[in-house]
Amino acid sequence: MHNSVLLTDANGPVLDQAVDHLEGWRIERRPSEQLVAAIGTVEGTRAVYVCTSDPTLLRATVERAHASGIPVVVECDDEAVRRRAIELRAEEWVLRGASAEEIGARIHGALTRSVPSVAGMADRVERVEYERMLHDSRTGLPTLPVMIERSRQRFKERGEIVVLYFNFVRYSKIEEIYGWEKLDAVLETTAGAVREFLDDSAPNPSRLMVSFMNDDDFIFFHVPAAGVPAASDGEITEMVARLQRHVQSRIESIHGEEIAALFDIYVGRTHVYYNPKIRLERLIYRGIREAAQAARSIEERERARKVADLRSSLRDGGVYVDYHPIVHADTEEIFGYEALARGVMRSLRSPEVMFEVAEEADLIWELSRLCRQRALEGLDSYLRPGELLFINVDPHDFSDPSFGEMEVKDPKRVVLEITERTAIKDYPKFRERLRAFREMGYRFAVDDAGSGYAGLGSIANLEPDFIKLDISLINAIDTNFIKQNLVETMVKFANDHGAMVIAEGVERAEEFMTVGNLGVHLVQGFFLHKPAHLAAPPHHRERAAIKTA
Amino acid sequence: MAAAAGGKKGKMPAILVVDDNRDNADIIRQYLEIRGYPITVAHSGEEALALFETVRPALVLLDVMMPGRDGWEVCRVMKQHPQLGKTVRIIMVTALNELDDKREALQTGADDYVEKPFDLATLAATVQRNLAMQQTALAS
Repeated sequence: MHNSVLLTDANGPVLDQAVDHLEGWRIERRPSEQLVAAIGTVEGTRAVYVCTSDPTLLRATVERAHASGIPVVVECDDEAVRRRAIELRAEEWVLRGASAEEIGARIHGALTRSVPSVAGMADRVERVEYERMLHDSRTGLPTLPVMIERSRQRFKERGEIVVLYFNFVRYSKIEEIYGWEKLDAVLETTAGAVREFLDDSAPNPSRLMVSFMNDDDFIFFHVPAAGVPAASDGEITEMVARLQRHVQSRIESIHGEEIAALFDIYVGRTHVYYNPKIRLERLIYRGIREAAQAARSIEERERARKVADLRSSLRDGGVYVDYHPIVHADTEEIFGYEALARGVMRSLRSPEVMFEVAEEADLIWELSRLCRQRALEGLDSYLRPGELLFINVDPHDFSDPSFGEMEVKDPKRVVLEITERTAIKDYPKFRERLRAFREMGYRFAVDDAGSGYAGLGSIANLEPDFIKLDISLINAIDTNFIKQNLVETMVKFANDHGAMVIAEGVERAEEFMTVGNLGVHLVQGFFLHKPAHLAAPPHHRERAAIKTA
Repeated sequence: MAAAAGGKKGKMPAILVVDDNRDNADIIRQYLEIRGYPITVAHSGEEALALFETVRPALVLLDVMMPGRDGWEVCRVMKQHPQLGKTVRIIMVTALNELDDKREALQTGADDYVEKPFDLATLAATVQRNLAMQQTALAS
């Protein structure tokens, strides 16, 4: 049955093809001057497709259609018609000569956007906002209220559901280090991996649904199908483990080991039983809360285990160092290396995780000492003469009495990187300490500059020899002119103060070229080199092939 | 009218100009129209959002200081649009003197900015480089 009518004054066969793609539609054709009159009379009219270039007829047609609550697609012959269509608030427009697919899509678009004429504008804004509330725009996953509606019926029929709460710990860290664009991309990957996983487990008669909560939580509803027993605890544990592995491996393959090692996934679960006396929403929300608590208690247990791991690592010296080359932007010759300390134990592989655990357990000095000692070991064995060693220090390290007593043969070759992220409370005292180190010959770098924690004024205060730009500024810098402008400002500032600018996190040829053109002095990033282990000296390693854009 | 667009009919990318100051908006519109760009003007953030899906602009010139929903908010919503957000280029029209202002602009997803008061040639150059960038991005 063709119940929906597309009313039009257009003759081409393309429109017929377009309508063929729409299910249950047929075309009613009228000459342009009769179109207005036909709008109220042809039964089943759900959309108007108008191609007249007569402004008066166009206006009359659109106004009449809107008065009847019918959306309009305007076929535009030229720019004047297109503008008129927009001024008249036609729902959609297409250029003459568009393909059947595009026309079909526009008709579809007009239908979804169709609103009564008077409130048209406000409603459309609201619609955009409304859609945003229903589906997360990055991940495309439905929000909780949507999911509750979808599961309502099945929950009632079956009498129980299992709520799984996925807590992705340290996703916020990704944002802190790499910027929100990276986190968005990681969330997108995560959601995609979750969807893939669900598609793969489709033959299962039970149903799994997923919802996206906010920044780092996902919720699954497992609704057993009628007549099928709910998944046992064992099955759920197994399923969760598989999902975890799947997400982790997708993230590792797309965003790299560093990011994959950064976060953990903790899953809490709870059974919710249907009770007609209690509102279903409340039942579900309570279930979610319980599952979230369960996830948190697992997280705490896990954390206690990590502290134990750290203690044993400190006892056994279980820390190794990767050296990441820093090269001249113009010649690509190696200038120095940043030492990146990592835990030997798998749970402490990521330096971010390791230091977070140390901070919680109040073991930060002990860990810092071990990392420094390991890093300095490479100064003679790994680095060639003249190459500098960059090591990360925390402002707190300066209060550690043993810090000043490091045994370094040639402090001039050591650059202490101070992150801009840690708030420095007592500036005069801090500068005093820096001066003592400077007198011994050490040099300084401000890390994560431009991340917004400190302005140029406070950077100048530290009188750094190097300014390391925050990774989020480098990510996709080739396409963003505001980032370019910011980096330009930093380079100028550095040149005025006799410092060198280092761009880290350079992953693509385009980024490499852009920072070079902006006058950045030194570059560090996967595009040129991967961090490498002490066992393999740099001159024996093959350098990453450089692709030219 | 059709002659103005010449042989490039339908090829030039659409631009949405958003400015609550009607004179400013008209000046920008005229200047860019002569260069062949199809221009649509909105005089408020609300209107800009309402027109966004219909106009499907390749680029938005967005004044920051507007009553109601300001340019930052509009930029954020547009950049989050599921279909159009990934490709649209957004140029903020504002003075971003401080480092912090620029960081803030990056937070909203803005691609570029033009300092106020601007001369029209700078504006056109900014528009051009962003459209060129978009072309490269779409091609790859």
